[in-house]
Amino acid sequence: MSCPIESFARAGVTVEGSQRGTVILEMRGITKEFPGVRALDDVSFSVRRGSIHALCGENGAGKSTLMKVLSGVWPHGTYSGDIVFEEQTCRFATIRDSEAAGIAIIHQELALIPELSIAENIFLGNEIRQGLGIDWTETRRRAAMLLAEVGLDNDPDTPVKEIGVGKQQLVEIAKALSKNVKLLILDEPTSALNEEESAHLLDLMRKQRERGISQIMISHKLGEIAEIADDITVIRDGRTIETMHVTDHDVDEDRIIRLMVGRPLDNRFPERHPKIGDVLFEVRDWTVRHPVNTERLICKGSNIQVRSGEVVGLAGLMGAGRTELARSVFGHSYGIYERGEVLVGGRRVSTDSVPKAIAAGLAYLPEDRKTQGLNLLDDIKGQVVSAKLKKACQGGISIDWHHVRTIAQQYRQDMRIKAPSVDTPVASLSGGNMQKVVLAKWIYSDPLVLILDEPTRGIDVGAKYEIYQLIGQLAAEGMAVVVISSELPELLGITDRIYTIFEGAVTGCLPTDQADQESLMRLINPTSSRPATV
Amino acid sequence: MSVGNSQSLDHQPVNDDCQGSWHQHNPRKGQFTMRILKTITTIGVAGAMALTLAACGGNAGNAGNAGSDGASSGGSIENLKIGISLPQKTSENWVEADGFFNDTCTEQKLDCTLQFANGGVAEQQNQIDAMITSGVKVLIIGAIDGTSLGTQVEKAKDAGISVIAYDRLLLDTEAIDNYVAYDNFQVGVKQGEALLEGLAKIKGDGPYKIELVAGSNDDSNSSRFFNGAMSILQPKIDDGTLVVGSGQTQQSQAATQGWDPKNAQSRMDAILAQNYPGSEVPDGILSPNDTLARAVLTSVEQAGKEQPVVTGQDSEVESLKWIMQGKQYSTISKPTLPLVQNSIALAVKLASGEKDIKELNGIQVDEEQYNNNKKNVPSFLLEPIVATKDNAKDVYKDEPKKLEAVNSVG
Amino acid sequence: MSEQFKQLIGGNIRQLAMVAVLIAEIILFQILTGGTVLSPQNLQNVISGNAYVLILAMGMVLVIIAGHIDLSVGSVAAVVGIVLAVLTTSMGLPWWVGVLGGLLVGVLIGLWHGFWVAIVGVPAFVVTLAGMLSFRGLNQYIGKSNSIPVPEEVRTLGAGYMNFLPPIETGNWIINSPTMLLAALGAAAVVVLKLRSRAKLVAAGASVPKAWVMWVQIVFASALLIGLGWVFATGRPGTSFPIPGLIVIVLFLCYNFLARNTPLGRGVYAVGGNRTAAALTGISVRKVNFFVMFNSSVLAAIAGMVFVGRSTASTPFDGNSWELDAIASVFIGGASVWGGIGTVGGTMVGALVMAFLNNGLQLLGAGADWTQMIKGLVLLLAVAFDVLSKVQGRPSIIGLLWKPKPKPEAEQATKEA
Repeated sequence: MSCPIESFARAGVTVEGSQRGTVILEMRGITKEFPGVRALDDVSFSVRRGSIHALCGENGAGKSTLMKVLSGVWPHGTYSGDIVFEEQTCRFATIRDSEAAGIAIIHQELALIPELSIAENIFLGNEIRQGLGIDWTETRRRAAMLLAEVGLDNDPDTPVKEIGVGKQQLVEIAKALSKNVKLLILDEPTSALNEEESAHLLDLMRKQRERGISQIMISHKLGEIAEIADDITVIRDGRTIETMHVTDHDVDEDRIIRLMVGRPLDNRFPERHPKIGDVLFEVRDWTVRHPVNTERLICKGSNIQVRSGEVVGLAGLMGAGRTELARSVFGHSYGIYERGEVLVGGRRVSTDSVPKAIAAGLAYLPEDRKTQGLNLLDDIKGQVVSAKLKKACQGGISIDWHHVRTIAQQYRQDMRIKAPSVDTPVASLSGGNMQKVVLAKWIYSDPLVLILDEPTRGIDVGAKYEIYQLIGQLAAEGMAVVVISSELPELLGITDRIYTIFEGAVTGCLPTDQADQESLMRLINPTSSRPATV
Repeated sequence: MSVGNSQSLDHQPVNDDCQGSWHQHNPRKGQFTMRILKTITTIGVAGAMALTLAACGGNAGNAGNAGSDGASSGGSIENLKIGISLPQKTSENWVEADGFFNDTCTEQKLDCTLQFANGGVAEQQNQIDAMITSGVKVLIIGAIDGTSLGTQVEKAKDAGISVIAYDRLLLDTEAIDNYVAYDNFQVGVKQGEALLEGLAKIKGDGPYKIELVAGSNDDSNSSRFFNGAMSILQPKIDDGTLVVGSGQTQQSQAATQGWDPKNAQSRMDAILAQNYPGSEVPDGILSPNDTLARAVLTSVEQAGKEQPVVTGQDSEVESLKWIMQGKQYSTISKPTLPLVQNSIALAVKLASGEKDIKELNGIQVDEEQYNNNKKNVPSFLLEPIVATKDNAKDVYKDEPKKLEAVNSVG
Repeated sequence: MSEQFKQLIGGNIRQLAMVAVLIAEIILFQILTGGTVLSPQNLQNVISGNAYVLILAMGMVLVIIAGHIDLSVGSVAAVVGIVLAVLTTSMGLPWWVGVLGGLLVGVLIGLWHGFWVAIVGVPAFVVTLAGMLSFRGLNQYIGKSNSIPVPEEVRTLGAGYMNFLPPIETGNWIINSPTMLLAALGAAAVVVLKLRSRAKLVAAGASVPKAWVMWVQIVFASALLIGLGWVFATGRPGTSFPIPGLIVIVLFLCYNFLARNTPLGRGVYAVGGNRTAAALTGISVRKVNFFVMFNSSVLAAIAGMVFVGRSTASTPFDGNSWELDAIASVFIGGASVWGGIGTVGGTMVGALVMAFLNNGLQLLGAGADWTQMIKGLVLLLAVAFDVLSKVQGRPSIIGLLWKPKPKPEAEQATKEA
């Protein structure tokens, strides 16, 4: 979010309730072991009543495990240590127990049933009964009240699948509020939201704080934390490193990052000395229709050029057509192709199927590595070679697994993929390491053009830096790299040039050294009257 | 879930091949006179009343037609409406029945509706419902599942329609008039007799080692075959003339799931491996039908052993060849034509208002053997006959296809 | 100790668990039947009598890995069987015309299923359910519900023996030489492959188990092969390792290779594991779907022909609920109901677990009723065992059996992290 390092100190905490400052939750000496791994090692952690407490740490540091212990996903007895909530020692056996005590968790992956209405979802498992049946009138009335509370103006009868992710997040919160929650846990609440939705969500969190609801927030977005948190606890390698009060004035992003990664990070973006060559990748007049709503154009005659050794950013709001552009170019794997051509190294190439696009030297790292990038049932070595199996074949027929193992081993070392061996299932890797495997898979396919869609989403600071380094290296080797990102500071930090996209059309192209967040925001959201709130 | 469905869909109606092919030209008469005298009193008031009431109901429901039909007793039966509902067309015997029913109806100028329920029980229910609606006077039903047509049969009774169970008994209902079939207990008896005869003829003096094969546990006819055969064999087992080598004398042990020959073959493989080491071999094998007979013979042959005496049933073409080659000893003939003709004759009698029929073309009614859990169903049971190499040419002389098979082997 | 033991049995304990179950089952029945299970005659019966399931299951496992199901295999096999019988016995054509005709029918049905599943996009469940019904009907239509015998050559495919070399006669023993030759070739292949693999690993700088571990493995595997060969070779004179078993072994080698070592096989896993990711990785989902459906029908055709060879005739009963046997084998063999997971080798073990269970119960004279109940329970327990051992965050059952210390790899991982 916020790019310049700012002080976290905030004077304006206005609500000082009578109970403010007393402790609502205390977790003491929590230790949780999995076979062969100690995920939590004597973690202690407490939350003040009516505060927002941010939990920071790299992926795999133990944040989610800690929250699972707290919410009863890991029942009492599978961990050691005490949980004291509202002065009661709690022994939750199930999630229901923790909900009954007033603890609600909203997961990163939303747990709503898409086919059911908002009202049905809110009261799912907690239905308002009238005799044997459900009292639908009361259900709707209460749902409408809760929706007003969270600032949603949709009809409670709207099916959840018809509202966006941001609004679904709010429904989740409404659902939690319906259960008289005292402590609300939000796991990466804004990771799938756009600027506006995020801002709304943060507002809502403030409002709940004023109502006296305590909140724990897991986030990688330090800007958000800066904006909203009262206390920050940093966890690293399953241990509590430090808990800071924002009012202490000496908290800043650098310090948090240092605590999270355990070493100082001089710069969030690596130094680059680009050697830019000729135009290597060009998209001309690219026009694509929406796959369902065929009246709508999702790419409107877009033109893009990327030179060898250059890193080019694609900036735009969610749904502006960045991913759609990339995927339709990459094997026409999205939308209905209307017209336009792709040139690689000055020659027209056909990319109307994924294999053809790969053969033409294109590679596309999708925005969601778990559902689009990897076969989570496979292991590292299998995934590394999966985009160009022919290359791993002996005499064209048989995959040479010895060779594959050697190759994968090399990538694992070079890219610092943290895994016991190349036989490790990719599902057990952390987000950053998974992303490195996807990247390795595409590098193995010998691409000339690398399109990276949200390459650092949901990845911790340390791994982000490593991925930036890799991007720089690949460009230095002569590839044309396109980076799609929702985080403007990231684009400003790693690219040479930035294209802006709004409603399917390219609205501008700025050399990065002449761009700043404000100028980019104006281009990616020309209709917005309010200034960028990043 | 899916798997369960698929199983039921894929399962062949298991009883077809064991009952299907029947040959007999002279149903023997007068066998059950004694029984009838005994049971004539046990028909019961209720039964008689039911029949009377039913007839009344029929008249009330179809005053015009019924009147004329009733009057035509013994006279014109032209355009009598008969509904014939048969199971899936899965064995040649049902194909044959199809032809014979059509021929007989055309000959006698009856208005017959014949339908096969290839889609299963539900389809058969719908077909019978439709026949009732279309105003048939008599229903001849070869049920896929004898227990599942209760509703339809009751409905028919209420509409004054007579119901004949053809080849397979309708269970758990009062609303059935008669049952026409081959006597399956007798089939077993004759198989047992044939086995003893064959052993004496081919294997010399006893004692003999034998093995037993039964039909599928989910088919009630399996018990009739098995019990019929055991009524002959058990005394011989008891007196030591026969020895069951594997010791598997219970029907459940001898059962062949789904009448599937591969199950009989693999069971026989196991029995041979376990109980007949070296060149030892069973002298005889009781098999309830031809398909299973050939399966156990194949098993013995593949074990490289001498052929035993094996019984069968159904007169399948392939088995007739094996009998003529001396590989299989016997089969049972249950020709379809007499069964069809007797069913139609019975239908005509019922439609013309006859009640409490005691005799049909010389077959006396049997009111004891078949109880459908609600009542003893008056049955007309045709007697099966044994065919061996010696009498095959005679037994099949009126069935060209089978005769051809018999003659095809030197 | 447990570490060395793991190296010795190949490391992947979970996969080998079902092998252990199979061995335990064989030993149990061997004791209960007083030694009949491992007699040459009985082993020949088990192999010939279950060859069709083993063949079907090889097609089924690929279908299931790709995330589909094939309910039609039984009906397809039945149609192929009757076509083979009609072409040869009824029409008097040579046996090889019948076999080619049967294969052609399998190919055509495979194209038909592939078309609907891969090109039109109808779920395989529905397509093959339809196929199951239609081809069952076609079988009855062609055969008029009769059983029709098949020629001698086809019977050899289904239950024949190898006698192309004269037997070795020494004293009391008459030893089938082709069987021993086969066993010796198998043992030689084990030695060569092991040594070559080790050399490659060493060349690649990977760590390898100690040499004695490898040699123990080689000696054990070779002894097993030669021992089994001996049992098969010393049965009734004129018998050998059955020809249908040979067909199964050849197909197994092909499909094991295909699944593990070819881009197509990897594609099957990729599509089953994550269809979207596979598509975005340049794998043609359509091609993979077409292949698995097509292949399953072709294998069903081979299975159908082997089966009628063994039962010497095509009957209307052929293929009844075979799909269930095949599917059960696949799941016992460790495949996932959700696709993406499964191996050809595991499936073969799964099929043999069911085959020996069936055989053992028959040898003991258990009735069809008991056999079905026990088979059902074993299927349930085998899959439950597999599911429980995959539950995350809980020590696996097998893990508990061996009481492993924390894996050294995992320790290393935590250190690195």
